Amino acid sequence: MKEITIDVLKDAASRLMFEMTEEEYVKLFQELSSLTAQMEAISQCEDLDGYEPMTFPYPVQTTYLREDEPLPPLKREEALSNAGSTLEGQIKLPKVVG
Amino acid sequence: MSFLDRSIREIHEAYLRGETTPYELTLEAIARAKANQDNALETLDENGALTFAKTLMDPEPENLLWGIPYFAKDNLSTKGIETTASSNILAGYIPVFDATVIAKLKKRKAVLLGKTTLDELGMGGTGTTGRKGMTYNPYAPNHDRLIGGSSSGSAAVTAASIVPFALGSDTGDSIRKPASYAGLVGFKPTWGRISRYGLFPFAPSLDHVGFFTRNVDDAAILLQALAGRDEKDATSSDQEVKDYPVLQKLSPLGYKVAVIAEIVDSLTDPVMKEKFAASVAEMKQAGIQVDEVHLPHELLSSVYATYLVISSAEATSNNANLDGIKFGPYYEGKSYQEVMCKARTKGFSELTKRRFVIGSFALMAENQEKLFLRAQKNRARIVAAIESIFSQYDLIYGPAAPSVAPMVHPKTEMNTIAENHLAIGNFGGFPSLSLPLALEEGLPLGVNLTGRIFEEEKVLALASWLESYTGLAGLSALNAKEKQ
Repeated sequence: MKEITIDVLKDAASRLMFEMTEEEYVKLFQELSSLTAQMEAISQCEDLDGYEPMTFPYPVQTTYLREDEPLPPLKREEALSNAGSTLEGQIKLPKVVG
Repeated sequence: MSFLDRSIREIHEAYLRGETTPYELTLEAIARAKANQDNALETLDENGALTFAKTLMDPEPENLLWGIPYFAKDNLSTKGIETTASSNILAGYIPVFDATVIAKLKKRKAVLLGKTTLDELGMGGTGTTGRKGMTYNPYAPNHDRLIGGSSSGSAAVTAASIVPFALGSDTGDSIRKPASYAGLVGFKPTWGRISRYGLFPFAPSLDHVGFFTRNVDDAAILLQALAGRDEKDATSSDQEVKDYPVLQKLSPLGYKVAVIAEIVDSLTDPVMKEKFAASVAEMKQAGIQVDEVHLPHELLSSVYATYLVISSAEATSNNANLDGIKFGPYYEGKSYQEVMCKARTKGFSELTKRRFVIGSFALMAENQEKLFLRAQKNRARIVAAIESIFSQYDLIYGPAAPSVAPMVHPKTEMNTIAENHLAIGNFGGFPSLSLPLALEEGLPLGVNLTGRIFEEEKVLALASWLESYTGLAGLSALNAKEKQ
């Protein structure tokens, strides 16, 4: 497992696209170190690998196909109503390609 | 006593007799909401509620929810009403559609008064991390007790008798724990029983929609109204929706009930221990079979770490769309990355950021096997142990919380088995309900019933029996002294 360091945590936060303060990283380091120790304790359970990873409470089967009926789409005004930066009916962003 | 202090059924009967109207009751609920000091509301939709209530003139005899005022947790989409999940990153966001549960209640002509506070995005169990600060427990007017979370505001408005019910969501214990601290019935039915379309996802393999009420009958009425397959939610179930208001009245004699000894043994509060033991003795006296069963201490101690890894991992990917571009406050930047980074840095609280980093760390290629997959395997191990109990017993009975609501700054570590065991109900998707057991110096103590998946009627029937035993149906912060 990757060693937990403040730099590793900073890199993770950067990939998640937010910043944290130095004090917050220290608190996070302690919390994550405690958590990994608890997970290590769980790994001591001998029959753990006998279980399949559980991704949902029980198997879900959704096999229906809805009728292929055209429905009214979201109106442009509605789609743009919550965007903070718009221009000429589109969401406006800083230039992506130079 | 106001009609707002009554049950859904009693309010319905008062409407039919012409003793009050939805408009009058909505006006009174708004007045109570404005006078309340518990910081429980994100939005009070006064105009919307009054305008709708005014249209309700002719009571519908078969529709128990006609004209009943309620609040919804602010992580449920409400068309035209700001919905923030108590996060600054969603400030100003106004959904263009209703969550299915909101649409169902609208169709039944219940009156939505507004939206309630939560721990930001549903993460957290204290009621302290929302963008508006701490939500207080109505049982502690001097604001020194937590109400718990994440459905903190919904618990507060129901306990303060502003409304007879409020919608919530539950990923670890976010309905059932605050229900315990606020003397309420808090019910999360089976995973898949109620559509989650329009619920902001926190950890979809664990998320449930549920509700707070002040008695078991109201919980049965709401379950019947909200349950059922929804093609907008692929995980919603097409299992038969039963007549819960009738079934909750059936006798639980003949049920086999298990009490997990290690959970009860982890209690330290002497009053809780005594009251819980007395309730078990009363059940046995009445002829209900109650047996002590055992689970390994280490298995129960592993619940919290398992929950934290899985929920954080799911949360970090589910909330990647909160970028400050399509919705939420927009911050200028030289690149779209800078726009996003500013929005997410300013928009999330510290706790949310920590959870996201933990989740991201657990999902890193080098760590997945030892953290995420190991947690998922342990989840399966825990659920298998519980299902083994359910192969012999109908229900599991236990404390909903180790004590009354903790102080705002707890002196003891909140990390015991009795503190964290309710997440098992989310791991297996089991229907799970908390209800008040007793009052300790004016503060509620709660117990929990958990059943097999899709057997909500048994949970409700024993809860109804327990409610008769405790005499606490209709408990609220307003009448607690009379009920003591």
